[in-house]
Amino acid sequence: MTLIQAVLIGCVAALTQLEGGWLGEAKFREPVITGFLVGMILGDVEKGLMIGAALQMMWMGATGIGPTAQLDIGTGGTIGAAVAIMTGKGAEAAIVFALPVAVIMQFLNTLLLTAFSGLMVVADRKIDEGNLKGAISIHYLCGFFTFLLYFGLTFIVMYFGNDAINSIVNGLPEWANNGLQAIASILPAMGFALLMNIIMERDLIPFFVIGFVIAAYTELTMVAVTAIAVAIAWVVFLLRSGQQKSPAAVQQNVVDEWED
Amino acid sequence: MAKNTDLISVENNITKKDFRSIFWRSFTLLGSFNYERMEGLGYLYAMLPALKKIYKDDEEGLKAACHRHIAAFNMTVAPAPFVMGITIAMEELAKKDEDFDVTTINSIKVALMGPLSGIGDTFFWGIFRIIACAIGVSFAQDGNALGPIMLLLLFNIPNFATRWFGLKLGYKNGSQLLNDLESSGKMELFTFCAGIVGAAAIGCMIASWVDITSPLAFTISGSEIVLQEYLDQIVPKLLPLLATLTIYGCLRKKIGVMKIIFGICVVGFICGVVGIL
Repeated sequence: MTLIQAVLIGCVAALTQLEGGWLGEAKFREPVITGFLVGMILGDVEKGLMIGAALQMMWMGATGIGPTAQLDIGTGGTIGAAVAIMTGKGAEAAIVFALPVAVIMQFLNTLLLTAFSGLMVVADRKIDEGNLKGAISIHYLCGFFTFLLYFGLTFIVMYFGNDAINSIVNGLPEWANNGLQAIASILPAMGFALLMNIIMERDLIPFFVIGFVIAAYTELTMVAVTAIAVAIAWVVFLLRSGQQKSPAAVQQNVVDEWED
Repeated sequence: MAKNTDLISVENNITKKDFRSIFWRSFTLLGSFNYERMEGLGYLYAMLPALKKIYKDDEEGLKAACHRHIAAFNMTVAPAPFVMGITIAMEELAKKDEDFDVTTINSIKVALMGPLSGIGDTFFWGIFRIIACAIGVSFAQDGNALGPIMLLLLFNIPNFATRWFGLKLGYKNGSQLLNDLESSGKMELFTFCAGIVGAAAIGCMIASWVDITSPLAFTISGSEIVLQEYLDQIVPKLLPLLATLTIYGCLRKKIGVMKIIFGICVVGFICGVVGIL
């Protein structure tokens, strides 16, 4: 890992965090994106994309809301992809690092946000003084500190932790590798369970079954299944918006339709 | 004085340029997120171009307005410009009408946080993100650089559109619109239909992408029995489905995410080492 590469990977990690604060959650934190960027930096885009896809599935359900906000998938994904490409190993090498990093960074983020709370009083005072520019500069200052924390830590880990990472990953015995591969195969199920927890309700179960069965028994791709689902949703919308009543009446109609 | 066609508010000289500025500033809403005011300072930052115009000759009024908008605010970010639109319209009323009760401005903000976050989370975290990431993964898996591009486009087209049209709609007829949507029940139906796409996509992803198989094989009276072949005959992708539903069940029972991940690591590692998975 050269100095430039470590600096650039540090910038990717900072980008995943600033994406939330400064780019309107434009989704640069997703592992598919960070895997692609890290792949470009380390000279293996294809591998970066594949590792990104593997980590993405694992963290499909990791959102910024509720209990799942406990994982920093941005920094975790960045460092995970870098480790996998650097050591030439697969997704299981990525998760050995991505998972702990995601947990630790989220903890550090909590400390950062607590520190920012103290700055709000300063902003109040600036407004009272009529110094609006001063109040707004605190907004920028928070962004700067965020950048510094994420860039700094990632850079240090990447640049100075190089040898340690290599010896950990390459020193793993066969049995430990098997265990890690099994974990890597189950973790995506966690991601999808988290997603179900966000959007599932009883009346959506039939559509879940349709999606599963099509994919399990046919060769149709994700794009095709999504298109079918959009068509079904469209039909349901047309059918039901014709008979709009109170929300309670809508619920009743769902039951009727399934009984037909 | 700007050209008449560029004016959005004639009496306060608020132009399209100001609205564009508020639109772009709305992207930094989480920039100074903290546990005390949450998105308060970011909200003020976004509102400032409008506030400066409305209170351009009233320094005390401007200060009071700034304090109103640095107050605690927390919402899924994409629909927040809609609230900004509503509060800009209210600030104009407050400036024009001495008797206007300014506390209603923050009451509206607080009242909208819950419902709009609920809708916003469902759509942006639950639907748009899943679809965008799912399509992104399906390309990235084969090392295709279309993956990240599709992901960003599919998520950000609705993200940008919701912000821009939300801001304009909120300013023009926000409060009226909310009442209409709520009383007609259209919003529930729309959310349900979006949920259909989300539910089908999750079902599809479990079958396509969770790759849990068992290498277990026995030799009974000379013939080899491979467990996975029997499982496939019952239902293809049975193990991925069972694993996901088991974890979902744990989540429904309010078992913490960290505990579940720890459990997966322990169970998975042991199964991997002894050769069950």
